[in-house]
Amino acid sequence: MSEPFDPTDVTWNHVSPRLAHARWTGIALVWGVVVACLVVVAVATGAAWVWVPAALVAAFAVWSAWITGRQVRALMYAERADDLLIRRGIMFRQLVVVPYGRMQYVDVTAGPVARRFGIASVQLHTASPATTATIDGLPPEEAARLRDRLASRGEARLAGL
Amino acid sequence: MSDAPQEHADRLPAATAVPTSTPTSTPTSTPTSTPTSTPTNPPVPYEDGHWRRMHPTTPAIKGWKVLVAVVAVAGYQVSDNIDDVSGLMHGRWLLAFVGVLVVVALVGFGYSALAWRATRFQVTDDAVHLHTGVLSRQQRQARLDRLQAVDVVQPLLARLVGLSELKLELAGGNGSAFSLAYLRDDDATALRAELLALAAGLHRDAGPATAGAVATTGPSSSTTVALDEATSAGDGLLGAPGAPQVASPTSTPAHAPALPAFADAPERPVYELPMPRLLLATLRSGASVFVVLAITASAAIAVAARDIGAAFVMIPMLLGLVGFVWSRINQGASFRAAISPDGIRLRHGLTEARTQTVPPGRVQAISLGQGPWWRGPDWWRVEMNVAGYAHADKQQDDTVLHPVASRDEAMAAVWLVLPDLGVPDPQATLDAAMHGRDDDGGFTPAPRRARWVDPIGWRRHGVLVTDRALITRSGRIFRRVEVVPHERTQSIGAEQGPLQRRLGIASFVLHSTPGPVRPSVAHLDQAVVAALLDEQAERARTARASAGPEQWMTRREVP
Repeated sequence: MSEPFDPTDVTWNHVSPRLAHARWTGIALVWGVVVACLVVVAVATGAAWVWVPAALVAAFAVWSAWITGRQVRALMYAERADDLLIRRGIMFRQLVVVPYGRMQYVDVTAGPVARRFGIASVQLHTASPATTATIDGLPPEEAARLRDRLASRGEARLAGL
Repeated sequence: MSDAPQEHADRLPAATAVPTSTPTSTPTSTPTSTPTSTPTNPPVPYEDGHWRRMHPTTPAIKGWKVLVAVVAVAGYQVSDNIDDVSGLMHGRWLLAFVGVLVVVALVGFGYSALAWRATRFQVTDDAVHLHTGVLSRQQRQARLDRLQAVDVVQPLLARLVGLSELKLELAGGNGSAFSLAYLRDDDATALRAELLALAAGLHRDAGPATAGAVATTGPSSSTTVALDEATSAGDGLLGAPGAPQVASPTSTPAHAPALPAFADAPERPVYELPMPRLLLATLRSGASVFVVLAITASAAIAVAARDIGAAFVMIPMLLGLVGFVWSRINQGASFRAAISPDGIRLRHGLTEARTQTVPPGRVQAISLGQGPWWRGPDWWRVEMNVAGYAHADKQQDDTVLHPVASRDEAMAAVWLVLPDLGVPDPQATLDAAMHGRDDDGGFTPAPRRARWVDPIGWRRHGVLVTDRALITRSGRIFRRVEVVPHERTQSIGAEQGPLQRRLGIASFVLHSTPGPVRPSVAHLDQAVVAALLDEQAERARTARASAGPEQWMTRREVP
């Protein structure tokens, strides 16, 4: 009970590990290009010191890939009777509780990379922009189920502002 | 331009198609049926809403804005090389300049006139329809039960000629406000009363059968009863002498006595800001401290550099600060608040007068803030979140509940929003929230170990949950108190960084609609946060279930 990020009566759903793959792809696309450019420059000029930034960038990419893996494992959500819980982060942890009745609309999005890995994001919007209720990395059918479920529950508990 | 009269004629009833024949179409003489909101249908007589226009002098006022803008831009452009320009200011060049001005003015006024022609609005029992646009037409509809606030704004020029703009604030974010500009002052006030009464769930008494009897007694007496019940002020309402009718070329005075009107709700003044206090408070604010610093610094630079020009580097910053101070004074001047059955009514403004009406239950959160310079006289700035007032990009002038409140007035401001704070002694509780620390007034403070992450302010961090609201308290130098009614909680959250985790503390965040109030308490015991998360969700749910309806006058009828 003393642990705010782990309410007792809640079973957490983890998001798909494919989210990590999708994010790794993103990292590889961005940082891979940078590293490749640096390597090309290093080989072309033959200057030894150019390898240093290349190595640093590569190390940073590996580090962020490792962090991403951890982050994806830490991202989880739970549906309770009246609200949705979303939890994220390991070092800096965040928990958001969104009552269904406060929901204004639901977004389901899937970019090209996400589609390639068969995942989608569901985002809940309340009247407050501060509500950061995004669940990345849901399988499309789970995203659709969650969307419909949220919409129907929101309707049942509809309230104004 | 050419098709406009025709189109207008389409919207008039077939029988009375010619605008000048309207005397025959007064509501008393044509008991017509149900509200129709589609613009293509012929408009029905007034009790179901008819199409109205802005005041015909609107283009004259709006056109000036174009001219002023062009002159301002031109003036800004030439201000760099005044010598060149002064050489041109004679003979042919002057003529050309005047000619350009005239063309600009013609275009400005012409466009405004077209825009005026294209603008019309209609008020039905549950919605407002607004048609605007010259080139691209826009038709908007707002449900009245979603109305968040109604403002009557009088910019300087419009104020001089007795016109005002009516703004309907809706919770749709930027650009969602309906602006009805300009109407005669009386018409704007009457329309506001009408909109608020309809939004409150009162009805124009006219069913199809009774439409003929609408004329005077019906609606006004029912309004009186309902409003009296709500205020228990006992004032009663007068039977609406002035009908909310927009003077337009197509309407005639014959309309006026027959239109059912809602009188302005009776209001009771709650507080008023004396001008000396506003000036003194603005002088004592951080901005003027910066002004003094900036002047001193620029003087010092000038002396050190032995060049008076060096002092000018501070000018832009100084201008910014002066602008800020001016806007504070301009907006806070003659600030008055009153309570009425329609909600909170705020009046303020020096050059631009603004009357805001925020219906009951529309204030999402309030905050009280006090900087170190206001500590002595114990002044507070009270701000609020209202969903309709969410303009992220501009200086907020409509979210202020009190610019410079004394201690008692600050409490009164909280009372305006939340008459029942849910504690036996609201004064003591608010006092503890405003001035207290540790567990004064029953607050749950941050634990002692929080001093490692916030050595100065940790004793002020605190939270109190009452039956009706959540009160947070923070800040030792810049004191801050936030009050959120339970039923207005959007979502809640908790955050914890690595250091906080080691200390077993966490921060609690409460998400409200966009606005100046962002309620949160940092560094509470994590067990407290866990309990808050758990209970607050539950409390918000039950509070919402028992909260009043959107249409605040229908409260009694809804089980």
